[in-house]
Amino acid sequence: MSMLRTGLRAAPKARVFSTTATRAILPAGPQVIDGTVNDAAKIPETNPTHGSYHWSFERLISVALVPLTVAPFAAGSLHPITDAVLGATLVMHSHIGFQNCIVDYIPHRKYPKSLKAAKWALNGATAVVLYGLYEFETNDVGITEACKRIWKA
Amino acid sequence: MNASVFARSALRAAATSRTAVPVSVRGLASVATSQTAPATPETKKPLMKKFQVYRWNPDEPEKKPYMQEYELDLNQTGPMFLDALIRMKNEVDPTLTFRRSCREGICGSCAMNIEGTNTLACLCRIDRDTSKVAKIYPLPHTYVVKDLVPDLTQFYKQYKSIKPYLQRKDAPTPMKENLQSIADRKKLDGMYECILCACCSTSCPSYWWNSSEYLGPAVLMQSYRWIADSRDQFTEERKAALDNEMSLYRCHTIMNCARTCPKGLNPGLAIAKIKKELAFGSS
Repeated sequence: MSMLRTGLRAAPKARVFSTTATRAILPAGPQVIDGTVNDAAKIPETNPTHGSYHWSFERLISVALVPLTVAPFAAGSLHPITDAVLGATLVMHSHIGFQNCIVDYIPHRKYPKSLKAAKWALNGATAVVLYGLYEFETNDVGITEACKRIWKA
Repeated sequence: MNASVFARSALRAAATSRTAVPVSVRGLASVATSQTAPATPETKKPLMKKFQVYRWNPDEPEKKPYMQEYELDLNQTGPMFLDALIRMKNEVDPTLTFRRSCREGICGSCAMNIEGTNTLACLCRIDRDTSKVAKIYPLPHTYVVKDLVPDLTQFYKQYKSIKPYLQRKDAPTPMKENLQSIADRKKLDGMYECILCACCSTSCPSYWWNSSEYLGPAVLMQSYRWIADSRDQFTEERKAALDNEMSLYRCHTIMNCARTCPKGLNPGLAIAKIKKELAFGSS
């Protein structure tokens, strides 16, 4: 694919004339068009794992969180497994949420290395949080009980 | 024949009898009043309104984009922003550059950001409150060619990529049309009216950040227009083309698209239907 740069602003020489102060934080950059203007945009490969399955899983978790949050309070009693499932679902929910932020705001085309780094940093953070929750559930009171205590404090 | 002649003469008799009696009948009365109307129309006071228009000229790349102010008498101008822009170009500043064609909201050329909202200049009424300055910008987050003209190359390339035409697997039957039930045709209402003005796509934050890969509301709605079409036989292929991380699922239901659409369409709903069909199979 040849990269066609259009517009005077896109030419690196235009920078010499530019009176706008350069901003280090993610500048818009020149317009880049893949192929000629008459070619159709490239269609990505079908990948349901990152597409429809991912979306359905995300929605399923969001919906599941509602009864899981309400259940311990509605039942009045607390089972450690319910608490553990709630914790795990919460972590997955926020992991997917942060993943969406990363994919949205770190464009693959411009910052492929930063994207990879951010994704792995998130994976690491999720693993740490999961381990912390495991410790909290097994050696301490657990999420629901902690919320109850903070509420009553 | 005789009956109709009789009827006509009876009507005429009724009409003449009506003129004799001073009753306000709309057709005849207006003729009478127009004769007594004053010959000179009353002159309206000038209603001066200020407009600020985004200017940038590629021939002077060292000059920053700036807002240029124009003042027009609204009583001498048509009601819409396009009328004002055309008057500015014709009578004040011929260097002002913008796209326009049909002046009635069917071509989509004059899409621009007026008073903070993406809309068609020809469908956007000028606020007659002269204390406020009307601001006109090009479509947001686009590469500007000149003044109010955005570069829509990527938008059109993406539109081309969804194959916006009827695709069939069987050969057409000679001398036969591809028939469709009334119910199936109804599914296309609210989608086929799109004029591809790019107001919705350029109002979408997801499209601002990821226009190189995310297709944007306008193109996705046109994609669904062909997925929903009962005559099209490439539904599965069309859906497979959208089933990836970037093309469709960068939509986070922000709904700026439905809010800004100058034609009153709802691309957000079409995108939700694509997501539903991809999750549950064809509906």
